[in-house]
Amino acid sequence: MNPILRFLVLLLPITLCGIGIPCLSVAQAQPISSLSHQQQAMDISKVLRCPMATNQSLFESQAPIAHELKAQIFSMLEQGQSQDEIIDFMVQRYGEKIRYQPEFKASTFALWLGPLLLLVLGVGLCLVLITRRKTQTTI
Amino acid sequence: MTTMLPEIGHILLIISSVLALFSAALPLIGIKQNNAYLVGLSPILFRAIFTSVFVSLLCLIYGFVTDDFSVAYVANHSNSQLALGYKVAAVWGSHEGSMLFWIFAIALWGAIISYRIKMADCTQDKASDKYQDALYFARLLAILALVILGFNLFLLFTSNPFARLLPNIPIEGRDLNPILQDIGLILHPPMLFLGYVGLTVCFAAALASLLGGGFNTRQINYLRPWVLLAWMFLTGGNAFGSWWAYNELGWGGWWFWDPVENASFIPWLVATALVHSLILTQRTHGFKLTTLLLCLLAFSLSLLGSFLVRSGIVQSVHAFAADPTRGMSILCLLVIFVGAALLIFALKAHHLKQDVTFALFSKETLLLLGIVILVVAAFSVLLGTFYPLIYELLDLGTLSVGAPYFNAIFVPLTFLLVLLMGIAPLVQWQIVQWQNASKARVASLIIPSLVILAVAGWVSLQAASGSSLFLLLGTAAALWLLVCLLLTILAASGLGRRVYARQLSQTRSEHGLNPPVKSSKQGFIAMLLGHFGVVITIIGATSVSFFEQEALLRMGPGQGKPLAGYVLVYESTENVETNSFTAIQANISIRDAANDERVLGYITPQRQTFKSNGMEMSHAGIDHGLWRDIYVSMGLQLSDSEYLIRISYKPLASWIWLGALFMMLGGAIAAWPTRRFSYQADLTTLVTLSHHKPQETLA
Repeated sequence: MNPILRFLVLLLPITLCGIGIPCLSVAQAQPISSLSHQQQAMDISKVLRCPMATNQSLFESQAPIAHELKAQIFSMLEQGQSQDEIIDFMVQRYGEKIRYQPEFKASTFALWLGPLLLLVLGVGLCLVLITRRKTQTTI
Repeated sequence: MTTMLPEIGHILLIISSVLALFSAALPLIGIKQNNAYLVGLSPILFRAIFTSVFVSLLCLIYGFVTDDFSVAYVANHSNSQLALGYKVAAVWGSHEGSMLFWIFAIALWGAIISYRIKMADCTQDKASDKYQDALYFARLLAILALVILGFNLFLLFTSNPFARLLPNIPIEGRDLNPILQDIGLILHPPMLFLGYVGLTVCFAAALASLLGGGFNTRQINYLRPWVLLAWMFLTGGNAFGSWWAYNELGWGGWWFWDPVENASFIPWLVATALVHSLILTQRTHGFKLTTLLLCLLAFSLSLLGSFLVRSGIVQSVHAFAADPTRGMSILCLLVIFVGAALLIFALKAHHLKQDVTFALFSKETLLLLGIVILVVAAFSVLLGTFYPLIYELLDLGTLSVGAPYFNAIFVPLTFLLVLLMGIAPLVQWQIVQWQNASKARVASLIIPSLVILAVAGWVSLQAASGSSLFLLLGTAAALWLLVCLLLTILAASGLGRRVYARQLSQTRSEHGLNPPVKSSKQGFIAMLLGHFGVVITIIGATSVSFFEQEALLRMGPGQGKPLAGYVLVYESTENVETNSFTAIQANISIRDAANDERVLGYITPQRQTFKSNGMEMSHAGIDHGLWRDIYVSMGLQLSDSEYLIRISYKPLASWIWLGALFMMLGGAIAAWPTRRFSYQADLTTLVTLSHHKPQETLA
């Protein structure tokens, strides 16, 4: 096994155990963490793209790096960082590409406003054409 | 003899290309020179194309079944250990074979159409409807033959499925991609290809009408089942694909807005618009250009989708192997087909303009708005899919456009659509009377809408993750559509309808309007079923998105977890071995939370390792139910006996696909031939009655 991979695989249970509630009662499976942070971490991992897998979110990806990043998100939440801070951190580290929801800025205007523009143009044109017909009946 | 079957298949593919050239050229020349003999060659030539492509496909299937690894395509996508069903399905499991299958399906559909041409009956009277129809079908087949020619050349020059690996024949094949070894491969791609082929036929039909300079009632009626079947197959292709991903890919999602999914979803959106535009054309004899343009657009977008999937320019989990020459060739085909089609449209469109009379608030307007929104949705998805690509080409850096974006765009558009879907069936064609009855009608819509908003608001406060705008939209949309459908049924069956209908026809005659072509009971039922399917799908999708309960756990034998009224207990870990993989399987029992001795069922998620290529896959375990799915996937091993386990309770998950089945059923019912669509003069007399003289000169 690749040493980095082995390190990551080893790291995963350690981080997961480290951040989980440490009690190990017998018949009850252990939740990895406190529920609200866990839910929040899942939500964040759904809007971030796994840097290794092809077009999968961190949440879906089974790649080791995805597990590590999910643990990272969680520990950042535990440290009291907000969702935006975590996403900014990830963008700084992995680039714009990690964001599944592109930021609203000059170069993404066309992306965000395109559909709205198309809708307004389409519906507007349609209504104008209908009302301007010569054979318009007013009933 | 059998060892040279791949060469025979190859030669037949070449022969079919030559036949396609003749099949396109001769009938078109025949039409130009008014030579009925040449036109009459069209069906026989087309059936010859079909035969040679069919035998060619059989040769490839034979290669798979007999493990002929000297054929590169077989060696790369099959294995002697593979089950027979998958060997056959592997034919369309990758680029070359799926392209051949696509060509085969076009040829099959065309061959069926070729039986409509009966030259013997009609050559005496060249002005007769039958002769004009024969010309129409001959044009249609000629265009289909050109499409086949283009695809064939593409296949022969860039991706020959019969290419050999000689003289070093591999002893064993590389195996079919493990993800594809599923019942989904047998169902999903053929459905999707049949849908694409249906769009190809609509494209050819639209061009045949444009070339003939008319789009008459008979042609509209011929087009109807093709459009509906194409739409039905596309619906099925998308739904099965989504169902497959949900079951097999082990991610727990059901729609990922992946570029390849979008590639088949965009044509579906346009095909849906086309279905409605065709209804408009059929009932009003107007909107012909809209319908024809949508035919051309749907096919163009399906080609664009293939370009996306087969060129490897986008990153996707299920893109075919990347090859830039293929991408360029498809792009060339795309430019040629689309360019030529749009040119013909631009040159011929003015012949087909026909004014129709209707008020601003009428069924016509609502349908038209619906069509516009569907097309806008299609182009928005297209924009999101291509944006990262354009972004990179413009050197702006890299960017991902994923589910959050698409949901933000698509959900509001769907909501608008659903609003229209609710009202449109309740509104009359051409005119709406605002007197007397109208006040009650308006009230009958306003009161339910207020109730719906209240209920939707209440539901959206129940979500675990807090209230959300999307949840509100989804719930309101489903309720609104449901209530409107019930009102539609009431209105259609009610006694008051007859009185209203008499008033309406009076008003129509006062305004000099011709009544629209009557709808059939069949069409009405199909509409109800299709729209009801949309309600079910929206409910399923909304419920899964907002009421899912999940937990990420470390679990080993003897441990349990309560979730949503159930207790899941990890019973044991087991090693499983099949023909193609070995797997570690977790046996997890589902128990009733109230009485945890009562076992309701077992779920067996696996981590599979494939023998042929060592690839590892997580296979989710799902307990399907009408009201909920329980979904368990098995992650990494965390200790000697413990694994990372993801458990989800997904309420109403199966409704997503149940709705699609309803839609398909609606499509099938609408496509089913009735007497209304056979040769009948009464529809044409309606057109001639209209005050705008129809221009229906053929040839």
